[in-house]
Amino acid sequence: MKTVSLGASRPSTVSFRMPTRDNLVPIRVDLEVDGQRYRDAFTWNPRDPDSEIISFAKRTAKDLKLPANFVPQMLQSIQGQIAEFRSYEGQEMQIKEKIVPLKIDLRVNNTVIRDQFLWDIGNLDSDPEEFARTLCDDLNITDPEVGPAIAVSIREQLYEIASQSVSVMREKQLSKKGRRAPEFSSNSKAVNNAVDLFKYFGSKGSVIRKRKEWYLYEPVVDVVANEEDGKEETNNSSRPKKRAEEEKVASLQ
Amino acid sequence: MATTTTTTTATATAPAAANTNTVPTPTPPHPRPAAAPAPRAPSNLGPVKSEAPPTPSSTTAATAAATTTASGAEDPSNIITVPSYSAWFSFDSIHDTERRLLPEFFEGEAAAGLGCRGPDAYKYYRNTLIRRFRARPGRRLTLTECRRGLVGDVGSVRRVFDFLEEWGLINYGALPSGSKQAKERREEAVSQSSLPSGVAAPRKLCTACRSVCGLAYYACEKADISLCARCFVCNKYRPGLTAAAFKRIEITEDAKSDWTDKETLHLLEAVLHYREDWKKVSGHVGSRSEKDCIARFIRLPFGEQFMEPKEDRMGFENDDDITDDPGAGVSKRLCLTPLADASNPIMAQVAFLSAIVGSDAASAAAQAAISAQSRVDLNDGEIDSSINSNMEEESSHTNGLSVNDLLKEAASNARAQLEKERNSIEQSLSDIVDIQMKEIQDKICHFEHKEMLMEKERQQRQCLRDLLFADQLAILHHQRRPQAVATESKYDEKPKPVINIS
Repeated sequence: MKTVSLGASRPSTVSFRMPTRDNLVPIRVDLEVDGQRYRDAFTWNPRDPDSEIISFAKRTAKDLKLPANFVPQMLQSIQGQIAEFRSYEGQEMQIKEKIVPLKIDLRVNNTVIRDQFLWDIGNLDSDPEEFARTLCDDLNITDPEVGPAIAVSIREQLYEIASQSVSVMREKQLSKKGRRAPEFSSNSKAVNNAVDLFKYFGSKGSVIRKRKEWYLYEPVVDVVANEEDGKEETNNSSRPKKRAEEEKVASLQ
Repeated sequence: MATTTTTTTATATAPAAANTNTVPTPTPPHPRPAAAPAPRAPSNLGPVKSEAPPTPSSTTAATAAATTTASGAEDPSNIITVPSYSAWFSFDSIHDTERRLLPEFFEGEAAAGLGCRGPDAYKYYRNTLIRRFRARPGRRLTLTECRRGLVGDVGSVRRVFDFLEEWGLINYGALPSGSKQAKERREEAVSQSSLPSGVAAPRKLCTACRSVCGLAYYACEKADISLCARCFVCNKYRPGLTAAAFKRIEITEDAKSDWTDKETLHLLEAVLHYREDWKKVSGHVGSRSEKDCIARFIRLPFGEQFMEPKEDRMGFENDDDITDDPGAGVSKRLCLTPLADASNPIMAQVAFLSAIVGSDAASAAAQAAISAQSRVDLNDGEIDSSINSNMEEESSHTNGLSVNDLLKEAASNARAQLEKERNSIEQSLSDIVDIQMKEIQDKICHFEHKEMLMEKERQQRQCLRDLLFADQLAILHHQRRPQAVATESKYDEKPKPVINIS
């Protein structure tokens, strides 16, 4: 358990990993084959053997009754993302104790959820899964697919931040190797997102949010009526509809 | 093989109604039709939050399920069957089986931890999956729909899912549409139903490649999967299973057609009559080849159901291939029968015990007993009629044991001879003594005689002495005549020793 102390910023370098308790990779698949669309997002453990990926892909295709053409593409997509993740491994990333605002803006089946909150990147014991479960419990969300969607979304954002910090490190090292010039603070999104704790909490030093800002941080859950092609709840092939682009935009801000 | 899958020792009804009220209130076990239209998977995420709350809800779910037939799902009175080999399952606890087969959740870094790896996570996955299945027991859950509803990495979810499916806690008896296992199960059901009717059962089909298995196939008891040899080698079974879970089963004639009782009876009769002539035996049986008859005969259990008096003989005739135990048992029983009828109950017991123990042990025991008894007899050693009578008693007790008798005879002979010897010795001793006595007496007589003679001689000598003395006197007288008158007076003082010796 790494103790995180606010105040003193101790940048520490660790080898690349997801800054969460479990080193799991968020994977997103979006394929279209022969007019059939397949979208999916899930968490994968990079320590599972590659043979698992193949069997997983086949099984998913079978369960969702997708034609066999899906399987190779699915495989490719998943393997590509895992490979990318693995390419980061072994490199160092710098974990500053940054508090990062994360945002969730999803629509899953008929549930729309919007939320934003602060997340401590430096806490390597953080658990997006637990957060997602708690959130769904507290908001009495009945659809079980919302939880995983939230977890994957959080992971994706964290993954983004982690990979950026790796590139930051690399740049720093390069710049060090090159010449002893003053370090640039690279224009990374993660850094921009970082919140200066002292500035944020104001001179009062209170950690309690101002009341007028509460509404910003309240999660919003909407259950949308079935206005589109009504999918049965019992349908196997229900797909989470996420606005992935909005997601990316949200994390960019 | 089919016996392991016959089921329904545990029944649980659909707990969906109980599930909708998860954390705060324990559910009254009433069917709630209002809850039925609730989404098919009522907040499975509810019990996940922490471990303390789920337990009351899960226990109430269990009790509710056990006692009522809640119509939480579409069908009223839903009964969920759990195979007997999974009867250990409970919502509240983690069984050893689970710990053993899914160590990733319980060992190493996971043991202490929460999160995606840990007993809590495992419980969450497992309970959610099972509740989800039980909400719609007739419908088969797919991994994809489940993992989409579970917060966690899909690898772990898949493993738990596979484990539960293997053990029949999920998708057990669910009517699927075109899934391998259901087809295979249906097939087995078909084959099972056809077997009792005596019709030739369908040949074993491999579940993976749908082709006829050849000579041997591999069956996995856990998941009711049969694979042909090729598929087994190609590892075409689910990742959850290992090669060790499969057993090789040879397809024999028995599999193709079952031996009915009649046929078996015919077989036994034939063997009795014809002993080892398998041609005739197969002819007697009828529709079986020689090989079949032999194979079937070898596999026959020689148990009580087949025990007839004539079977004993058969026990001796069989080859050594047939296990020694039934043969030995039969011969033992034969040996037992004559003695077992003995009127003497003690003998019967002894005979029975000796039969049980084995011939070597019994003979050794008998020897020891005999020697102990005989040692006691020899130690007495006196020529005693009582001993003889004892011996006779003993010999009467041990009727039928000839060794003992011989020994007794020999002992008595020896004793008699000993006594004869003693007598003769005494006799001769007394003779010797007599003779010596006689000798002594003779000697005594002899000495007495000798003494008498000596006395006589002494007396004679004495007489002679006297005479001599007298003569000496006379002489002296003559010498001293002139002077001798005076001396005569001296000699006159002496008594006149005239002794006439006659």
